[in-house]
Amino acid sequence: MSGGDQTTAGPSASVPGSLFSRYVRDPAFYDEMFDRDGVPHEHCRALWSALREMPAEEILQMQERAERSFLHEGITFSVYGEESAQERIIPIDIIPRLVSAAEWEFLERGLTQRLAALNLFLGDIYGEGRILADGVVPVDLVRGCPQYRIEMRAVEPPFGTFVSICGTDIVRTHEGFMVLEDNLRVPSGVSYMLANRQAVRTSLRGLYRHHRVRSIAHYGALLRQTLAELAPSGVSDPTIVLMTPGVYNSAFYEHMFLAQEMGVELVQGSDLVVHNGFVHMRTTAGLRRVDVIYRRIDDDFIDPLTFRPDSFLGTPGLFHAYQLGNVTIANAPGTGVADDKSVYAYVPEIIRYYLAEDPLLANVETHLCRDPEGLEYTLDNLDRLVVKMVGESGGYGMLVGPHATPDERADYAEQIRRDPANFIAQPTLDLSCSPCLSDGGAAPRHVDLRPFVLHGCETRIVPGAFCRVALRPGSLVVNSSQGGGGKDLWILPA
Amino acid sequence: MLARSARGLYWVGRYLERAQHGCRLLAEQLDALEDRPVAEIELNWRRVYTALGRNPLGGDLASGLADDAFMLADAYTLVGDLVFEADNPHAIRNCLASARENARQVRNTLDRELWGCLNLAFLGIRDVGIEDVWMDRPGDFVRSAEDAVRTFWGVADSAMYRDESWHFLRLGRYVERTQLLAALIDAQLAVFPSRAHFSDSDWLSLLRVCGANGAYGRLFSLQVRPPLVINFLVTDPHLPRSVRFGLAMIIDALDVVSLGAPLALEAGRRAGRTGARIDFDWPNLDLGDRSATRAMLHGIRESCRLLHDDIRAAYFAYEIEDTPGG
Repeated sequence: MSGGDQTTAGPSASVPGSLFSRYVRDPAFYDEMFDRDGVPHEHCRALWSALREMPAEEILQMQERAERSFLHEGITFSVYGEESAQERIIPIDIIPRLVSAAEWEFLERGLTQRLAALNLFLGDIYGEGRILADGVVPVDLVRGCPQYRIEMRAVEPPFGTFVSICGTDIVRTHEGFMVLEDNLRVPSGVSYMLANRQAVRTSLRGLYRHHRVRSIAHYGALLRQTLAELAPSGVSDPTIVLMTPGVYNSAFYEHMFLAQEMGVELVQGSDLVVHNGFVHMRTTAGLRRVDVIYRRIDDDFIDPLTFRPDSFLGTPGLFHAYQLGNVTIANAPGTGVADDKSVYAYVPEIIRYYLAEDPLLANVETHLCRDPEGLEYTLDNLDRLVVKMVGESGGYGMLVGPHATPDERADYAEQIRRDPANFIAQPTLDLSCSPCLSDGGAAPRHVDLRPFVLHGCETRIVPGAFCRVALRPGSLVVNSSQGGGGKDLWILPA
Repeated sequence: MLARSARGLYWVGRYLERAQHGCRLLAEQLDALEDRPVAEIELNWRRVYTALGRNPLGGDLASGLADDAFMLADAYTLVGDLVFEADNPHAIRNCLASARENARQVRNTLDRELWGCLNLAFLGIRDVGIEDVWMDRPGDFVRSAEDAVRTFWGVADSAMYRDESWHFLRLGRYVERTQLLAALIDAQLAVFPSRAHFSDSDWLSLLRVCGANGAYGRLFSLQVRPPLVINFLVTDPHLPRSVRFGLAMIIDALDVVSLGAPLALEAGRRAGRTGARIDFDWPNLDLGDRSATRAMLHGIRESCRLLHDDIRAAYFAYEIEDTPGG
């Protein structure tokens, strides 16, 4: 991370009025399009030179059209606690982010390895508990985790697949790719990956064709295939449903979209009935048996008889039918323990333990406040760290030290001292930047990516990801609920 | 298909029909405002409100106020009430919003293009108020709203796979239509003075609302005879906005969806009985006897109301204990 001077992206400056003429790269961050000298990376060269010759106005219009089409087609999400804007679109930045074949191949191997280890971990902690007995992961960390479901003890899902759909958050710094979060419960965003692709490939038609971008259109088919593989034994042509909490859930559009892509029914808890240990859905022609449930409802709410009794979103008796092996729930209940922010710190060890391999994808350095050294370090370095609550997601309840006021830091320190086990701390990450449209030109904005990994009897990954962008200049928060946007991510052929 | 999805589509059909009916009534009324005598306009408002079973804002429509300025100001309020009023369940904007919200919840059962039609229809009226359209041809505005609904049905008709989604959508449409038509014809009889002195234009406007003026002219020349008009609008099997046609569509849709639904018999029977009453009892009716005609129309409306309950009980909200395989 040498040099603090801000450099304009080299050769682009020679075309006045072009998209990149005012692009100021900050050398502190890895740039997805330009190298340290301001020269486009090899695999970005074609895109860069084509965009450079396009009038900025034209690109701006494409962007507006894309966003309007999102509104017209109702590609929206909802933000909790915002009554006025019940349906909002996720803003799109039309300039795609490119990933080379080699980079993707590496990511694919790393993701496959990681998910394999995490599934083995879940099978172990709900089964024999070897890793706990061997002291690799502390027992109390696992058993004390609110996401640990005692009810899952001795449940053996088909192929040992606890997690069949995960959406791993990956960031990149000068040191390379790192996993930020595993998201093993009900990850969302895949519909925006597909919607962004649809919008960008219609707008940048010629460029898209020229790059021979790898297709992601088969995601729905792969998801369906994955779910079908997980059907209870003896069911050859399973009835699959997608279970949604309903229209008020922030990701309802995605639930609807995926059900449509897969050609399966979109059910709510009240559409399902458990009878004699089997799950049925209410159709216009009476009850019909359901074999596989892709649920987009948190564990807590799927069955009021087993989990939260005050849940109106679930189906009474569902978990019992699951325990009997008469229905598959994907992801399995209790997977949240493996993406707990504290357990996260142990994932490299978990990979070594089960696979006897070194992890391919790095973890972000994590300090657990439950450990006295971790707590001390965190409190001493609050101004340089990002502190997160273990049980929260979506960017809620977190402190970005460098951007917080001294008062905010003091308040937060007080919270940490009160319940240290609920907090972890990580260094502020130098998230990579990618050119985004801003004020008629391109400007660097921080990005991450969330590829979606499917696992039935084998691992399948569509070559793509939901690329999230922090649209505010300098902001490192990419969450959709916090003013983030999306970008299409192009994975190039070898 | 999922019972909840069927219910959603059925309501999409109903709300769209209600919206379209409102558009047609208003387009006719706004046209009349251009050049018809005040007394006639006032009776037309009465017909609209009687047909919708609603009291206009500010109470009853006072008769005998033959003041142009008053009527025009009043029209502004009434059109606003029928198109935009938040508390009016029949207001066109509310109907489009409800159709769209029902569709949103079962959107996975609709083709993308169809959802797009509905979403655009809704977005086109969502942020508009009477003050925005009144000065600039309000008639055009309601006609464009109707066009949006027509586009939906055009796309549905040409593109939808004829599975249960289609049939429930259509079921909702015609249950609503049959009910609204019976109410409208009944209102016509209630509002317009009977016997020898009647104005052609009152009856021609009824025909226009029902999209029946062209066919009526071809069949019966343009000589307007109220009993003939009523007869045409109730019994003609080829007129899409006739009561009999609506019932035929309901019977047809129920025939398809009832396969496999164990409680479906009652709805089919009721629709069949109502159709048969028109086929066999109506011709014997003395159409000059208004009270007998109106009683019959009341019967048809009541049947439609019960039909809705039957459909609900058979397909959307059945008791689990009553179903085999439960």
